[in-house]
Amino acid sequence: MNRSGLFVGLVTMVVGFTLAVVSRFGGVPVLLLDAVAWLAGFAGLAHDRASAYPYVLLAWYVATVVGVFIVLRACQNLDARRNRGVRLLAHPASRALIALLLVLLLGVLFDADGAFYKVQTHRDGLRQASVFGILACGMTLVIITGGIDLAVGSVLALAAVAFARMSIHWSWSPWLAVPLCLALGAACGGVSGTLAARFKVQPFIATLAMMVFARGLAKTVSGGMKVSTAVQNADGTYRYVEVPDVFRAIDSRLLADNVSMVTVVFLVCAALSWIALARHRWGRELYAIGGNEEAARLSGVLVDRAKVLAYAAAGLLAAVAGICQAAQEQQGDPEAGGGYELSAIAIVVIGGTNLMGGRGGIGLTLIGTLTIGYLEKILSINAVPESRRLMLTGIIIVAAVLTQRRSRT
Amino acid sequence: MTGIAKRFGSVLVLDGVDLEVFTGEVHVLAGENGAGKSTLVKILAGVHTDFEGTLEIDGRPVRPDSPLAANALGVAMIYQELSLVPSMRVADNIFLGRSPTSRAGLIDDRAQRAEARRLLEPLGIEVDVDRLVEQLPIGTRQLIEIAKALSYRAKVIVMDEPTSALSAPEVERLFGLIARLKAQGRGIVYITHRMEEIDAIADRITVLRDGRFVGSAPAAELPTPRLVEWMVGREVAQQFPRHEARPGAERLRVEEFVVTGGARSARPLVDRVGFSVRAGEILGIGGLQGSGASAMLMGLAGAYGDRARGRVWLDGRPVCIRRPRDAIDRGMAMLTNDRKATGLVLSMSVVANATLADLRRLAPGGWRRPRREREATSRLSEALHLRAASLEMEVGELSGGNQQKVALAKWLQTDPRILLLDEPTRGVDVGAKREIYQLMNEWTLRGIAIILITSEMPELLAMSDRILVLHRGRAIAELSRGQATAQRVLEAAMGKQVVV
Amino acid sequence: MHAFRPLSLSVLGAVLVVLPSGCYKPGDAPTPGSRGERAASASSDAGPGETAGRTCTIGMSQCNLNEPWRVQMDADIRAAAEKHPNLKVIFKDAQNDTLKQRAHVEEYVGAKVDLILISPKEAAPLTEPVAKAVDAGIPVIVLDRAVQGDKYTCFIGADNVKIGKAAGRWIARQLGGRGKVVELKGLMTSTPGQDRHAGFRDAIGGTAIEVIFEADMKWLEPNARKEMESALARFDKIDAVYAHNDPGAHGAYLAAQAAGREKEMLFVGIDALPQEGVAYVKRGILSASFEYPTGGAEAIDAALKILAGEEVPKKIVLGSRVFTQENVGRGGEALE
Repeated sequence: MNRSGLFVGLVTMVVGFTLAVVSRFGGVPVLLLDAVAWLAGFAGLAHDRASAYPYVLLAWYVATVVGVFIVLRACQNLDARRNRGVRLLAHPASRALIALLLVLLLGVLFDADGAFYKVQTHRDGLRQASVFGILACGMTLVIITGGIDLAVGSVLALAAVAFARMSIHWSWSPWLAVPLCLALGAACGGVSGTLAARFKVQPFIATLAMMVFARGLAKTVSGGMKVSTAVQNADGTYRYVEVPDVFRAIDSRLLADNVSMVTVVFLVCAALSWIALARHRWGRELYAIGGNEEAARLSGVLVDRAKVLAYAAAGLLAAVAGICQAAQEQQGDPEAGGGYELSAIAIVVIGGTNLMGGRGGIGLTLIGTLTIGYLEKILSINAVPESRRLMLTGIIIVAAVLTQRRSRT
Repeated sequence: MTGIAKRFGSVLVLDGVDLEVFTGEVHVLAGENGAGKSTLVKILAGVHTDFEGTLEIDGRPVRPDSPLAANALGVAMIYQELSLVPSMRVADNIFLGRSPTSRAGLIDDRAQRAEARRLLEPLGIEVDVDRLVEQLPIGTRQLIEIAKALSYRAKVIVMDEPTSALSAPEVERLFGLIARLKAQGRGIVYITHRMEEIDAIADRITVLRDGRFVGSAPAAELPTPRLVEWMVGREVAQQFPRHEARPGAERLRVEEFVVTGGARSARPLVDRVGFSVRAGEILGIGGLQGSGASAMLMGLAGAYGDRARGRVWLDGRPVCIRRPRDAIDRGMAMLTNDRKATGLVLSMSVVANATLADLRRLAPGGWRRPRREREATSRLSEALHLRAASLEMEVGELSGGNQQKVALAKWLQTDPRILLLDEPTRGVDVGAKREIYQLMNEWTLRGIAIILITSEMPELLAMSDRILVLHRGRAIAELSRGQATAQRVLEAAMGKQVVV
Repeated sequence: MHAFRPLSLSVLGAVLVVLPSGCYKPGDAPTPGSRGERAASASSDAGPGETAGRTCTIGMSQCNLNEPWRVQMDADIRAAAEKHPNLKVIFKDAQNDTLKQRAHVEEYVGAKVDLILISPKEAAPLTEPVAKAVDAGIPVIVLDRAVQGDKYTCFIGADNVKIGKAAGRWIARQLGGRGKVVELKGLMTSTPGQDRHAGFRDAIGGTAIEVIFEADMKWLEPNARKEMESALARFDKIDAVYAHNDPGAHGAYLAAQAAGREKEMLFVGIDALPQEGVAYVKRGILSASFEYPTGGAEAIDAALKILAGEEVPKKIVLGSRVFTQENVGRGGEALE
């Protein structure tokens, strides 16, 4: 496996160097550094002692990434004349895929004694990423209109707590509990959206307020503690109820244990969001609003209504994520989802959807989810210490965004 | 400039173009839209750095790699799309990036303001250099843009349609300024579509067509018919093909229409205007800057919401239009005067833009049918002679004239019964203009009523069946086709009561 | 419900300090003999007598109410205080903000409460406010995390290093001195995390127990589950999982259960809240949970004694219990 990673890197570097020289980009120092790092890695691998020197492998990987960057920049400087390949590279989905492939290459290099190739690693990594992916779908809708939704993490917690209360403590049927929780999420989103659209509060501020409010509401509903299968009696003692069937159903697996149910839920959410964006009138309206709100308004688009729906959809998807989270924890934690909104934004941005609005799509977000999800999994199976994980994730986000730059013509 | 060629992707935009500008001359660069004029001057101004051919200034070959480098070489450019920062003050804008500084390195505000005032004075406008640019009307902004370019003390000044938003007196002032610059020995490259401007100031004219160099000659040797022929490549028998109108029943009636100025001014933008338009008729609205013509149309079309009040009847029935959706549903379509800011969503495709106003009918029940949309768009783009590489390309990548056609397509898609057109031929080349005039004829034949705002007098006189002249928000005069002359219209627009 | 420590009771019983306290009627000037009796009688029931005159106000500042353990601490304090109608406790939540907590202390001083209870977020920034409160004549009891220096009245807390050691020894004993262990750590920037880690490693130091995988799960259950999944993917043989708190152990259990491997290994957690860790042990999810007592009831005890004018030890170290599947029925076993 190390050999094939080596081969891929080799090809990339050669192509990169050539194009860099041809297009006069990169500068000699960068190329030299590149070459040195790459040779070091090559030497280490060739002696098959790379696993004893992970830093060598890392340096080699960094050199490969830089090489890819050089190729991309070189293609930007080339006019896409008769070259369909270069035109293809300019497509945002290609860029997102390149980021994903680089992350997968990292997994191939640092495969944690073969753990990277096991089905369960992929299944579990996808399971872990799915909750963030669901949030990111809603976030995509809002970002396309040119707004932002900081409240999704808190709405997730609110829905988780409400769902746990309804299902565990009050033993309500899931046919009642799930729609109610979804409606709760949609209502929170609708309030944010109304503030942003109708009352012209800046989306950042409106959703920030909702973030704080929903978190407080979650803590109130849960009484400050986790809503778990330990139910407190009037006299202060606890009795234990069984985990409801719906929880087990959500946290189960399909297809001979190879796919998590939560992943399926994510894919369904992504499909529905995609259909709405690509095939529904409302989706077209969202793009128009993000691209040029005044032109959309003058063309008869009911801007306020479309925006409120977008935020409500984000809230609803956050509630879906909350229900999945509760099922996976077998409890409703009012502290859940803290910081998740930032991860969702990172996923959308890495996928290539522009924060200014008017461009992007669910497909890109899907790729972004996989990218972040795999990165986290690779860091996890390699037991990378927490501090280094944070630094690395930050660097990757910046790097991924740089690959998204549109070419100047 | 010799043998200039440039590609964008696979499209060859310029092919072997020559341009020679001497000191102290106004050299007009003429051509249809998509002819490559803007691209050529952008190469000169250092915006496009990747091109073939040679560029020489004062005999020395140069190759500016940025607009700043071009400035340093003595080239200043005034863009058609203004390059001012709306949220900053006038003085700051003029000296953006090169403000005079005090010893400590801080911006010397007083010196900057004094210098800004000095630059603006010859342009003859009264502008408070402390005002924010976004508060100023577009005509004034254009003059500030000119002042900014002049401050570079350039040898070659490029002006890309500088008068598109100026009123007649302002244009006169600009021409005086150009004459002064000529006397100072500068060379001026002037891009325009307006014949009367070419007649007024051109010393020499270079014509481009479809990216190729057609010819270059002194203005005296290029009378208008020949010039137009060079530009379109065919005999243009008649530029304004307006035929006899056969107006039908009254389509729109407006009485006591008022548009308040909102927070910005106490004076209403439109002050109790009344008029009517019949089916198949073209009503032209004449007026200078600040006349309230655009505001009136925007108010009628529901863009101003509650700020627009009055009695409006469509086809004899009273209507209350509070938002753009209401107007569109009732068959009223309005083309705005600034396609980039308010007309099109530049990041979306041609199809997306063309179908944006009619989504309700094209997507009943909410679900879009891409095939239907493509068919509708393709029909319209054929009818409008829209030239785009593909219907899926981003509108932002089209030339100005084609962008305008996309905007028109959007409104035609809604099957309007009355069309409000605000400067429909701004930034559009001669050939396309003619096409639009033809189309206006066809539309009126179909019974559509048209209200036309245009700042080009010949167009106004030729295409309107009746002309309503506004001055500072009030209707000053209404002239029939026979009564309307340029002089009468201009006098009325300037406030004088017209004797017919 | 935590039983009284025999040690602290005997210490209290032995103290004979004369300090008129505002809680008693002026006429109740205690004589040495009667106080000894009173102290003795106090030790047998819930506190120094109900002969209250005016109500005593206690100001409690909790560093955050995110962690269930801290919610439990407040609940324990509340429950213990309810048994004494003359005690009124005000609860404030600093939401993990040190500056807010400083403000709490200053507010309590300004409101002239009779005693302050504080569970600080950090030692250094709160040392001075606490010292100032003591200078102003208000006794301060510090819970769970200490402040620096010694300007406070009493510190009540458990010893995380000892608990970590106990966990390590227990696992070593269960595995017969050799085995592969996964360690799921709490926030290693906090003292509990560091102490529980240090104690554990110390205990397994001389044995053939090997930590094959360690990860920082930041006290959160979903993170623990995620990390455990990675460990399961990587290693075929895991003998025990040591998590720094019960939610972490539970998350690891869920991950192992999903992989069908939960029977292969021991799961050990810390905190042992009745509805959480103890319940998990009862239901067979955890093999053992080590109690990290909140000290809430002890705090009220000490408060009452201080308010009664008695002296309390500077530092009260709370003992801990271990709950295993075989002793959970009888309420666990105390640790030595």
